[in-house]
Amino acid sequence: MRTIETDVLVIGGGATGTGCARDLAMRGMRTILVEKGDLTHGTTGRYHGLLHSGGRYVTKDPQSATECARENVVLRKIMPHCLEDTSGFFVTTPWDDPAYGDVFVKNCRLTGVPVQEISVQAMLRREPVLNPRISRVFEVMDGSADSFLATRSTALSAEEYGAQIWTYHHVVDLVREGDRVTGAVVEDLRNGERIGILCACVLNAAGAWAGKIASMAGVTVTVLPGKGTMVAMNHRMLNTVVNRCKLPDDGDIIVPIHTVAVIGTTDVHVPDPDVYGIEPDEIQFMLAEGDKLIPGFSQYRALRAWAGVRPLYKDRDVANDRDIPRTFKLLDHAERDGVEGMLSIVGGKWTTYRLMAEESVDALAKRLGNTRPCRTAEEPLPLPPTEHQTTFRPPVRTTGPGASVAAEVEALQHAPLYWLGKHLAEVEREQSFADLICECEMASRSRVLAAIDAGAKNLDDIRRDVRMGMGPCQGGWCIYRTTALLFERRGQDGLSQANSNDALLHFLQARWKGLVPVLWGDQLRQARLDELIYVGVLGADRLRPIAEQGGGLVTDNPAVATEYVKA
Amino acid sequence: MNYETIVIGAGLAGMLAALVRAERGERVMMLAKGHGSTHWAAGCLDLLADADDPLGAINQLVQARPAHPYALAGVAALEQALARVRGVAEAAGYPLVGNAGRNLLMPTALGALRPTAFVPATMVNGEARQLGDGRPILIAGLHELRDFFPPLIAANLRAQGYAAEGVYLELPPVERSHDFNPVVMARLFERPAFRAEIGRQLATLVRKGGYARVGLPAVLGLYNAVEVVRELQALTGALIFEIPTLPTSVPGMRLFHAFEQALTKAGARIQIGGWVLRGEGSGSHLHAVFSEAASREQRHMARRWVLATGGIMGGGLRAEHTGVISETALGLPVRTPSGRSDWFQARFLDEAGHPVFRAGIAVDAQLRPLDAADQIVYTNVAVVGSALADCDPIREGCLEGIALATGFAAGQL
Repeated sequence: MRTIETDVLVIGGGATGTGCARDLAMRGMRTILVEKGDLTHGTTGRYHGLLHSGGRYVTKDPQSATECARENVVLRKIMPHCLEDTSGFFVTTPWDDPAYGDVFVKNCRLTGVPVQEISVQAMLRREPVLNPRISRVFEVMDGSADSFLATRSTALSAEEYGAQIWTYHHVVDLVREGDRVTGAVVEDLRNGERIGILCACVLNAAGAWAGKIASMAGVTVTVLPGKGTMVAMNHRMLNTVVNRCKLPDDGDIIVPIHTVAVIGTTDVHVPDPDVYGIEPDEIQFMLAEGDKLIPGFSQYRALRAWAGVRPLYKDRDVANDRDIPRTFKLLDHAERDGVEGMLSIVGGKWTTYRLMAEESVDALAKRLGNTRPCRTAEEPLPLPPTEHQTTFRPPVRTTGPGASVAAEVEALQHAPLYWLGKHLAEVEREQSFADLICECEMASRSRVLAAIDAGAKNLDDIRRDVRMGMGPCQGGWCIYRTTALLFERRGQDGLSQANSNDALLHFLQARWKGLVPVLWGDQLRQARLDELIYVGVLGADRLRPIAEQGGGLVTDNPAVATEYVKA
Repeated sequence: MNYETIVIGAGLAGMLAALVRAERGERVMMLAKGHGSTHWAAGCLDLLADADDPLGAINQLVQARPAHPYALAGVAALEQALARVRGVAEAAGYPLVGNAGRNLLMPTALGALRPTAFVPATMVNGEARQLGDGRPILIAGLHELRDFFPPLIAANLRAQGYAAEGVYLELPPVERSHDFNPVVMARLFERPAFRAEIGRQLATLVRKGGYARVGLPAVLGLYNAVEVVRELQALTGALIFEIPTLPTSVPGMRLFHAFEQALTKAGARIQIGGWVLRGEGSGSHLHAVFSEAASREQRHMARRWVLATGGIMGGGLRAEHTGVISETALGLPVRTPSGRSDWFQARFLDEAGHPVFRAGIAVDAQLRPLDAADQIVYTNVAVVGSALADCDPIREGCLEGIALATGFAAGQL
């Protein structure tokens, strides 16, 4: 077994782990990050994409609210290309306690969450589809975030500073010598090779899987996986994030992101972060809740449903699961459990990932005698090769609670904020409309090839990079095209036609899993057309005897398969 | 105008029913919301996929599954339908080749081999038994066409023992930039200069590589494909064959055009763009239907009706999230296999198919729609094609077969 030495081993390639790797590398510490799937394979890639203003937590979890409000501004400065400045509303519907509005505003002030009440008329002018029976509207600095792109960009920065990012590497065991963790054994899922990693410290950033990792070192960390189910609708029927003005509950938020609107979420405790399903009741409940915000919401075409597991950390002194805060916690296992050489960072939100990384790395740096300051809040992230080097700057918000921040961010002249017309504008500028591989999401051939060249390990990875297959047709055309491009591009370096076939079959199945919960109406019709294409025209079902995992593609491995037990 | 028969739907089932009735001298209109699955499918005639001898297997199937559309239409109707559709294609200069007693194995745009019973003459040189003669095969396409990728097709054919190689040709000069979808490409192949240039490139490749056969995307012209193939064969000295691309299906459009010619010749009227939303009847007699086009409702009257609106894909059936499946034109009762929780298999490509797609309208031996108590809903309506219950035409590989058999049977009633 090959053994490699490093200063810090980060476990987990979500927002937090990747953020930690970047911070560590920027401070000059030798860092290896291992992730069992692709980056964002866990919870980061399965959330609704809300850049929190903090508004959702002002009452129940004020510390989280304050952290979100601060990080919201930081992220706008360092990753504008990943964020859309949608703004956000908290609205009082006829089903909500009218008294909560005043409590909400008071608590926003207490926690430092910028807020401004606007008239219902002003709200309806901006978002005419909202329920006219809404009685009060509070505007906050919500936004939407592309968590795939943000994590890719963070990882790219980490690599530029010398970190090694190993995706599709699964932790088989942590090595413990006496009361000290000295490293880990990881397996490369692409070829089964086992590699030993010796390190001064392990940073466990495995999110909902943090308990599983900690137990490998004989340490108990109780993470309660809280499953949240979301539904993407095939229309971006509004351009502002809308929350119900009440304590956070199921189905109370709609986030416009890219070309869709996502309604979320449920919150169901599941025993194992790898085993969960999506219940039909959850979907029906959320669509019905959507109707309260947007009359007729449930009649829009549902695109797809998915679920992620929140990494809720249960402290030893918390008796009731309902009291678990959404804030994060850094566990120093030397102090807590008498086990040296390992820290766990648990809980938290996507919006606060950078702060979580900063605090974790501060603690680690102290331990390793590194005194360099954290600079992750100042230095902007680089753009991955799949991104257009866009020059157009969308108009800057001039009203509402986010106006002053918008001006401040614009003055930095970093990359422009994401805006809905971005990809279309670039396609028009490049005249590449005749070379789109995924028409639904306007992913051009050059971007798909850039994702392949950047090391995507299967079609699902390419999807996370360029959103191919995420639109209304759910891959009817682009799965075939992308498979063929993958073969053409990588056929010379060991990717066989059998591996390509397997990639296609794997991705078809991955799409199906998220479709089944929402298959009725037009989306069922679409699924049937896709069946005609893949069975009746392409004969993909007949490729099974000549399909095989390999060639650097990970298409079927129990370590990364999330088992939807019911759909 | 009063019609003797109005056919609702313009897929193969509706077109054949309309043609047979018009040829009997009836005043016929074919009224449809849009094109049928011709424009999406491979443009071949699938009778039954998993059988070497589809006709023999269908003979057994009609015994074992009396509610299957083949059993309702009868094997004789299928055979007569095949003869008629081949006549229609032949008359349009686009012959269909094959044998109901033996499936052909045709290469797909993935390089898989897919069974089907009849293929256009433009495809037949690609049949697997011919490809297996050991002589080298060239699969050629154009970069600009994103619905056909020669290297992967050739590699998959090689993996199955066929001596294929894939290559991209240079796009001959065109005066402006296009979105090179299959239909645009087919129009370009209508131009003599364009195909001559393709032929010149192919001839060079054939000379160098000694290829006996050349597979090209099925975009070799919309109206004169047989002529284009013949011309390319003369230029290259190799046997040319088409392989169906991703939709839009140019071979399917050619079939549609062949029927359009035949229907026009037989005096039938075709109205596409009229979406039938409801019917008007008294007792078990349907008097009229209402269609919507350009925001205007139109009332259509006829003595006899053929419902050929398709299944879930065609839009003839629509499923709600509540688990209810409805028939969209006349509100006919639909046989739904079970509750929504049992509609789907866990695997997309499960061999058994998804139960929801067996939903459809139950009919009697004369294809008249039945309600849940097996009573006839309308005595003057025949239901044909994918709208029928108890069959999954895509997974059973009989999409065209049941359309033609039931469409022909409805023409005979």
